[in-house]
Amino acid sequence: MPNSEEKIDKQNALTNLTGTLRQRKSSFFELRGNVSRRATLVLGILGGLAFFGIWELGHFLTADASKRFLPSPQKVVSTFWYLLTEKGYIYDIVKSCYRIYGSFFLVCVVAVPLGILMGCFAKFRALINPTISASRYLPAASFIPLLLVWFGPTDTQKMALLFLGVIFFLIALILDNTKAVQIELVEAALTMGAGRRRVVLGVVVPAVAPAIIDSMRNMIAVGWTYLVIAEIVAATDGIGAVMMRAGRFLKVDIIMAGILTIGILGVLTDLAFRLLAHYAFPWNRERRS
Amino acid sequence: MPNMVHNHQIDDNANAVVIRVSNVTQQYLSGSFTAVDNISLELRKNEIVTFIGPSGCGKTTVLRMIAGLEYPTQGELFAYEQPIVGPGPDRGMIFQAYTSFPWLTTRQNIEYGMKIMGVTRNDRQTRTQEFLELVHLENFAESYPASLSGGMKQRVAIARTLAQNPQVLLMDEPFGALDAQVRWEMQEMMIDIIGREKTTVITVTHDIQEAIFLADRIIFFTRNPGRIKADIPVAFKGGKRIPRKEDMLALPGYVDLEMQLFAMMREEIQ
Repeated sequence: MPNSEEKIDKQNALTNLTGTLRQRKSSFFELRGNVSRRATLVLGILGGLAFFGIWELGHFLTADASKRFLPSPQKVVSTFWYLLTEKGYIYDIVKSCYRIYGSFFLVCVVAVPLGILMGCFAKFRALINPTISASRYLPAASFIPLLLVWFGPTDTQKMALLFLGVIFFLIALILDNTKAVQIELVEAALTMGAGRRRVVLGVVVPAVAPAIIDSMRNMIAVGWTYLVIAEIVAATDGIGAVMMRAGRFLKVDIIMAGILTIGILGVLTDLAFRLLAHYAFPWNRERRS
Repeated sequence: MPNMVHNHQIDDNANAVVIRVSNVTQQYLSGSFTAVDNISLELRKNEIVTFIGPSGCGKTTVLRMIAGLEYPTQGELFAYEQPIVGPGPDRGMIFQAYTSFPWLTTRQNIEYGMKIMGVTRNDRQTRTQEFLELVHLENFAESYPASLSGGMKQRVAIARTLAQNPQVLLMDEPFGALDAQVRWEMQEMMIDIIGREKTTVITVTHDIQEAIFLADRIIFFTRNPGRIKADIPVAFKGGKRIPRKEDMLALPGYVDLEMQLFAMMREEIQ
């Protein structure tokens, strides 16, 4: 029947057409849609421009007498540059970085082995975990008076605060990462004759490593948020101290430049961790499941 | 392979008992659930035995106890008349989940087991090459598991386990996660490899056709509690292993056995 064949042809043409149409004009709010690399870049820049546009607009609409309380983006950037070139701001940045990275290094030295061991050995977990879980609910800021009494207004005091703010969370995350290692990998190693030491170091550690780097990346971001708290009290240097001093003189542009600095450093740190994960774990790059 | 010495002296007698399960009971939840109830069985050298039965019949539990990954509540298990006290490379195991290590390439994965056993570098490399060819993965030797298909990942695990030259190969639904055609390929590949390696094999499955194709002997488990319902020799194959599945399907006697197993499975469903 030629008639029906014709009909099918037409239908095919129609579905093809709607198919291509659908491809070409995918809705912006397409569920779980894909974004090309270029579109990602363009959308990201658009989002950023919108943010600065709203900021600029806010500055524009503010009454002249109050403009200093909402400086324009350009003003903040030029203040940032002024701080760097004229005020020795780089010293404060280095100081803050030293506190963050130094304390976070110590956090990792403690949390990684502890988290992995707790993930591997149930009795060790039962011994340690209740205390550590409970410690997560202690507000880190409330340790400031204690740490001041113990260490005085020193770097040690600030680093101890950053340490306490992050460590319990990182241990909990690494514990979860370790427990999430597929049990069959461990059992396979056991049936191949691997001893306990080989199972932990040769199987669990490499299996959990990418997840741990991810947890570190998330927790150092939290560390950056604690930085200002650590440097507000009894500090003479560091990004937080510069911002605190500026606040006393209502220099909003400096405060905002400080926020900008922390934002930039945070993004760079995040990027460094991503690159580390990318190059350290080539096997983890594309998952095909 | 001069360097692959086993700890266990095996009786060269072809009828030697390799695995003995003796009045074994396994209970969970402090005794309130009996997974395996007083099971006894013997496995002879070079036999391929299939455990089949409905879900929850304890077939995997028995396999895991033979592997040494679980200990029975009561009873004893022996390998080569020595009590089983833990896992070891003499009883290699293939899991349903993919267990090739994701951070190692195919080649490194196959080498891994031999490394644990302390096989020298040279022997390791030769034997790895052999097994790469045996499971047809020569072209994927330097690939990571993430870029392999499910069937390929399972072949890596099989090669890694067999490269250790185990006395007994334990397989826990090894092809359960694969699609039908890959499953078929793998079954025929196993018949080929087992024939060459002369390994004693236990495989757990709930696929009746797979059970008949692979097995010299089928042990049917029943559930609540887990017991052995029947121990059936696959007699129609005449003591041979048939390399092509359709050739087996054409043999007289195949359908009778299949129907017998279906009838037993039907009783379990009702």
